[in-house]
Amino acid sequence: MSKAIRENPRMIGLAAKIVEHFTQNTPGVQAVVLTTNDGFEVASARLEKSKAGKLAALGSSLQAVSEAISRESGLKSVSNVFIETENGTVILARVAGVTGGMTLAMVASQSAVLGHLVWAARNCCTALTRVFQS
Amino acid sequence: MIEGQDLKIVFAGPMGAGKTTAIRAISEIDPVSTDMFNHDREQSDKETTTVALDYGQLTLEGDRILRLYGTPGQGRFSFMWDIVGAGALGVILLLDASRPDLGGDAAEFLDAFGAMDPSPQIVIGVSRLPADADQALQLIYREVENRSAMVPVLTADIRTREAVVMLIDTLLSLIEGSQPELVS
Repeated sequence: MSKAIRENPRMIGLAAKIVEHFTQNTPGVQAVVLTTNDGFEVASARLEKSKAGKLAALGSSLQAVSEAISRESGLKSVSNVFIETENGTVILARVAGVTGGMTLAMVASQSAVLGHLVWAARNCCTALTRVFQS
Repeated sequence: MIEGQDLKIVFAGPMGAGKTTAIRAISEIDPVSTDMFNHDREQSDKETTTVALDYGQLTLEGDRILRLYGTPGQGRFSFMWDIVGAGALGVILLLDASRPDLGGDAAEFLDAFGAMDPSPQIVIGVSRLPADADQALQLIYREVENRSAMVPVLTADIRTREAVVMLIDTLLSLIEGSQPELVS
């Protein structure tokens, strides 16, 4: 993680609060990690440390492959990535306007309402953008 | 000559060893890249780092396509080594002799790719050798010998197309020798 972020515990603390609030208040969300686009965990909720690190790295790789597919297809930058399974969903949401890029990765249960998840994630990402741009 | 099928090879090695550069030097197509802003300037002073894979292509004799894949170098992306390496006939392991633990780097990647089933053929390309190159090369030879591996170790400036061609030619010869059923 860059020195700028690492040496700013206030920023990380605020991000952690935003991630925790999103997790607590969005029905169906089981785990969340905020990752830099080169795979470092910035904040997480409901995940033990090693799992959070793994999900951060996996999420950043998937985000990068998605961006590559989008470029090759002549499309613009990726807003969301959805992985639908039999018993839940993984969503990656881009946090805009952060140097180097960040992604919010969340795991949600089957009972979660997709539209509500996307709306709540968008609000969460907007709040995170404000933290890291300040 | 290897006949009949498209071939997959992988460029592997630690961060900053030149995997993305090598594929860019040789690919006939604009390579696919998944480089992201590098927050870890302590490990390597590069602006960007590969976080998923690189992809390029080269046409061989007989219009067969050589598919060139590059892996991320950092350990936290080691899950991608198995994913990207699946089905690869050969691996070009790029090592940077200016890194602090050249022997450790060689060991880590020889073990990771040697453990795949089936094991791909491996060629090592070493760059940024110091004036006393022998001492550095001995660190690599020791790791190869410890694993009783048949792995050629070549010096290569992978910024040049000629060096990358040399590494690929060497690897293809190894693949040819190990899979004679592919030879015409």
